[in-house]
Amino acid sequence: MSTPRPESKSIATYFGYGEAGDSDAEQKLQDLKRRKTKRRLWTLASVIGGGVLFYFSLVVIEFNLGMLYNQVPQFIDALYGPNNYFPPGELFGIPFIDLGAYWSFMMEENLILTIEGGRIVWGAMFVTLAVAFAGSVLGLPAALLFGVMASERVIPYPFNFAFRATMSLIRAIPGLVWFLILIPLGGVGPFTAALAIMIDTTGYLGRLFTDELEEIEDGPIEGIRSTGANRSQVVSFGMLSQVFRQFIAWIAFDLEHNVRAAIGLGLIGGGGLGLELYVQRQTFHYTNMMACIILIFLLAGSVELLSQRVRSYLREEDDVEKSGVIEALVNAPKNILSSTMGRRGH
Amino acid sequence: MSTLKIENLSKQYGDVTALEDVSFEIEDEFAVLLGESGAGKSTMLRCVNGLTEPTEGTIALDGTEISDSQTDVGMIFQQHNLVEGVSAYLNALTGSLNRVSMLKSLFQWQSREDKLRALEALETVGLLEESHQRVSQMSGGQQQRVGIARALVQDPRLLLADEPVASLDPSSAETVMGYLRKAAAEHDVTALVSLHQVNIAAYFGDRFIGLKDGEKLFDVRRDELTPELIDDLYGSVETVGLAEQDETVEEILNNGKAPETASKPEAVTEEIEA
Repeated sequence: MSTPRPESKSIATYFGYGEAGDSDAEQKLQDLKRRKTKRRLWTLASVIGGGVLFYFSLVVIEFNLGMLYNQVPQFIDALYGPNNYFPPGELFGIPFIDLGAYWSFMMEENLILTIEGGRIVWGAMFVTLAVAFAGSVLGLPAALLFGVMASERVIPYPFNFAFRATMSLIRAIPGLVWFLILIPLGGVGPFTAALAIMIDTTGYLGRLFTDELEEIEDGPIEGIRSTGANRSQVVSFGMLSQVFRQFIAWIAFDLEHNVRAAIGLGLIGGGGLGLELYVQRQTFHYTNMMACIILIFLLAGSVELLSQRVRSYLREEDDVEKSGVIEALVNAPKNILSSTMGRRGH
Repeated sequence: MSTLKIENLSKQYGDVTALEDVSFEIEDEFAVLLGESGAGKSTMLRCVNGLTEPTEGTIALDGTEISDSQTDVGMIFQQHNLVEGVSAYLNALTGSLNRVSMLKSLFQWQSREDKLRALEALETVGLLEESHQRVSQMSGGQQQRVGIARALVQDPRLLLADEPVASLDPSSAETVMGYLRKAAAEHDVTALVSLHQVNIAAYFGDRFIGLKDGEKLFDVRRDELTPELIDDLYGSVETVGLAEQDETVEEILNNGKAPETASKPEAVTEEIEA
């Protein structure tokens, strides 16, 4: 064995720009080091670039730590006290939140449902649910049509783009904006909210269908073709039958999402829980706001739970996250937010 | 009762010649296509089925030329090509798609005969009890048998199979081939099956067509198939035994050469049909 070569400690060597040894391995080592140096420089550049963007974003939004510091006591004041988020009360003699205050507002404003003279009067919670459900069902046929037609496997290349482009156009405009656009058609209310969700569903659910269709296998398609089936039979039995269960799962997911979207639409006039929340905020009735938020929490959480169950049942063989009751409820606010602002918490 | 006549069939994929001037005729037989991977077996079957268009030559079934996929020709694939998410019954029923309209097939309004035919086909391959099961929950051998059932529901005159047992263990392979042979016999159809395993081929086939580099090397009946022909087809491959081996592995190693016994079992097909 030869004696070990004295380690050259120069910085240039460390970064791969020093003198290379004569053996092929040493040349390669230098080469590898040089590549690593380049990678590091790129990483450094992107970190700096990201930092600069972040800084300017903070400037634009007028980020102000001092304001946060000054306002925190006021926010805390708004949390606890009469007419605040958490009204003081008693539970079995122990000081606690006055749950009765929430309940009486829910009843007073008919947030859940009431029965008048043998007739059920559906409350705000069910209005929201109805907006979401009706919108989803109305949007489903178009989503199916566009989703299937946009797939290259069904319609050959240049022509499928007509359907793809339509869906992209729909998605480029957020659901909230669709609501504003459609107001002349249906007025400010749940009807227009459902129409907005219908259009939104066409764009998004259709796109999910298309993506799912792109991943199907050729085998079954060929299998059906070999039986002498006609073109549309090949599409429905060879292609759609492969993704049927996935489609059902996506529909469940979209319904779940649409419930959250319906709450967001309520805030701008679409009715239901969202509208109630907005009205109470404008009149600074924090206790009433909290009552709405609790119901939103329960509604979105239970629909999400239901949808999760459907999806994990359908994909019992696939790996799908199995979320329990607690997890679904904990995730609800985050998902409501992401659905209201933009799209797709997941 | 049917005749498949292939005349001067050639197929080119770009610069690659997959088949060159192959002709043969089979009538009411269980014919086996032999040859190495890439010899053109799959291309041949896909041409006959109409999944691929030949560059030259004609394929005729009972005197009528075949150009597109049709219900008269049933195909069994290596990877079964079934719809995995639905039941064996529904998969078998897709064999009848050609006989119903789109709308009726969507709502499963096939005629009662077609539905019974699907179940009878599954009975033929020994899966009547399991017909409600989803295909994805079945074993490889069972899946392949569902594939046979689907082809039978087409009520074909010609049955094609492309390496139907290539991905199965020896025991399942024998079962599947047994059912395939039985299905062909019961429904009185001509069959053309490509196989890798020479043993299985010799066991089940009536007629052997050897393809090498896209050309026909031999076309023989059961009693004419010799170890020499097999050697010509595959080159001298030690582990290709033509039939049951009488010697043990130790004896082979001691002798330093592969066995060339060629005793052909005769009573096999009767066993299965019984």
